[in-house]
Amino acid sequence: MDKVVSLRWILGIFTALFVLFLYGPFIVMGILSFQQGPEGGPQFPIIEWSSYWYQHVFGLAPPSRVAPLPIGEALIRSLTLAFATMVVSTVMGVLTAQAFRRPFKGSAVVFYSVILGMIVPGVLLGLGMVLIADQVGVARNWWSTAFVLHVVYTYPFAFLVMLAIFNRFDESVEEASLSLGVSPAKTFRKVTFPIIFPGVLSAMLFAFTLSYDEFPRTLFTGGSDVTMPIAIYGTFAVEIHPNLFAFGVLSTLFSFSLLAIYGILLTLSVRRQRQRASGLQEDIS
Amino acid sequence: MTDFDLELKQITKIYPGGTLAVEAFDLQVEKGEFLSFVGPSGCGKTTTLRMIAGLEDITSGELYIRGVNNTHIKAEQRPTATIFQNYAIYPHMTVRQNIEFGLKIRKLSGSEIRQKTSNIIDLLDLGSVADARETSLSGGQRQRVALARGLVTEPEILLLDEPLGALDANLRRAIQDELKLLQKQLNITFVFVTHAQSEALGMGDRIVVMNSGRVEQIGASEDIYFNPQTPFVARFIGKNLLFEGAITSASGKIGAIKTPNGQFKGRLIGNAANNASGLMVVPSEYISFGKTSKKDVNTVKGNVELANFISNTVIIYLRLANGERTKIETHVAKLDGQDLNTGSELNCYWDFNKSSIMLSESNG
Ligand SMILES: Nc1ncnc2c1ncn2[C@@H]1O[C@H](COP(=O)(O)OP(=O)(O)OP(=O)(O)O)[C@@H](O)[C@H]1O
Ligand SMILES: [Mg+2]
Repeated sequence: MDKVVSLRWILGIFTALFVLFLYGPFIVMGILSFQQGPEGGPQFPIIEWSSYWYQHVFGLAPPSRVAPLPIGEALIRSLTLAFATMVVSTVMGVLTAQAFRRPFKGSAVVFYSVILGMIVPGVLLGLGMVLIADQVGVARNWWSTAFVLHVVYTYPFAFLVMLAIFNRFDESVEEASLSLGVSPAKTFRKVTFPIIFPGVLSAMLFAFTLSYDEFPRTLFTGGSDVTMPIAIYGTFAVEIHPNLFAFGVLSTLFSFSLLAIYGILLTLSVRRQRQRASGLQEDIS
Repeated sequence: MTDFDLELKQITKIYPGGTLAVEAFDLQVEKGEFLSFVGPSGCGKTTTLRMIAGLEDITSGELYIRGVNNTHIKAEQRPTATIFQNYAIYPHMTVRQNIEFGLKIRKLSGSEIRQKTSNIIDLLDLGSVADARETSLSGGQRQRVALARGLVTEPEILLLDEPLGALDANLRRAIQDELKLLQKQLNITFVFVTHAQSEALGMGDRIVVMNSGRVEQIGASEDIYFNPQTPFVARFIGKNLLFEGAITSASGKIGAIKTPNGQFKGRLIGNAANNASGLMVVPSEYISFGKTSKKDVNTVKGNVELANFISNTVIIYLRLANGERTKIETHVAKLDGQDLNTGSELNCYWDFNKSSIMLSESNG
């Protein structure tokens, strides 16, 4: 009895610490983003609550000695890059996972070489890419060298997600379609894809968010037009102002809204499947 | 050109792993026939059906549908439709959309599609659920949706893989009759897979009994039931009494076999040969009870261990002279006032024209 109680306490404390470390930094950042400006610095105490730094992020604050964050273009680059990475990685992930549904010679080799992309340390991969690019005389750009590495990195995630989805996929719906005279291509579009859609959504989410805040692989390969994480890192070198925190809060909210959209779409399709499962249950009982 | 709707010539399937799933399958099916495949689990029923549907490659042999060689035709180009055991209804479409799906890819006008769809919806009584999704359908409704979806494309041959397996016994019974009526009405060839012998016998115009990838016997229900041609069929189908022994006479139509329970005569089946180890097969239905003075009969006697009455049939467990136990299932009317109390002696006899003698290992 005592043992159970103390175990509960330990687990409780563990959970509390976990939550603290998970949300702590964000909460501190959130509070400090409402610091008075432009004099207030990135530390406690809060001199006076204000939304000055939010205005500053959007360039609405009167000019002051604090330079605006150099993130406007970087943000657009990052979003564009994340979007392109998401599309390419998801398409490749779906197709590769589709190929893995049937056993083929050398599938293990292919599997591990795909997975390698997410295992190899990012900095090493970045450096290697720089060496190759210099060797063959390719300029480093966020949309070329960095993009390739983003795909190399996120594609395995999309692939693994889709692999898990296809694992539970019941092929007979596809076979039913073929047997009705529907071509394989049309079967994929009209039957397979709608059913695996929740998985595709997860793969997209992974690819997008991983690419959006990718740092080590982009640092060396992104060239002079930096992406958002690199731009933020650049501002640390000078001086940190609460405008960075305000931006952090905003971009976190952005991520949350992506997650919310994902959650809504997923619930819709999962609900459908769950109803289906419970329907079957009734039949059996 | 042949007149058959479906013809299999020496169809063989070896899976990539090396499993020989179907071996040298020969079959001819007439237009509008209801054919049942029956056999124990793993005997190759599904594999055969899938080869006919084009969902599985044919390792060797040839497949003809309406006289056209379909051996290497893709599934989507074959004039067959398949009903799967789990029905494989598209979860993201309504019942109506499910049914229309196969029509939409054919070059039909919108009104034609609507017409055909509503015809089949009426035929299978799915009107009340036409706009529902799979999730809200009962097992029987799902089964009918799958059937409607397959039938609406007007296939030459409908392939059904244990389509009633997921249904409870009552519903199963009802749908068996419905299915049979529907098939006669539409005059479409049905190939129906089941592992329940009663279902196969009840539904099929002809039955194919399979075992370990091979065809054991093809014939009408009665034929399979009363005239098994192999020991496997004798054991798998019907309620046969079996006596093992050595064949002592194998010339002419009627042969003889010596078993520990006596000498029996019976029709010779296949290449039953003298001195070979053989099997005497008697359908329970042909057994009469009591003492007899008739000549053309085989007799055996034993002691009743248990007699179990189930409405108008009785199952008798009989301990024979050599200590073996045998089971006889018969109609109460045939008992003829015999004493079935445990321990009492029971005499049985049967016309030897009704029993058969075959090799106990039939390898050819
Ligand atoms: N995809 C496959 N790969 C390898 N072997 C297979 C495959 N499908 C079936 N087999 C094997 O082929 C044999 C026949 O299987 P099949 O599914 O045709 O049997 P079945 O008669 O339909 O059995 P059941 O009544 O259990 O459905 C079995 O030994 C099975 O293990
Ligand atoms: Mg099967």
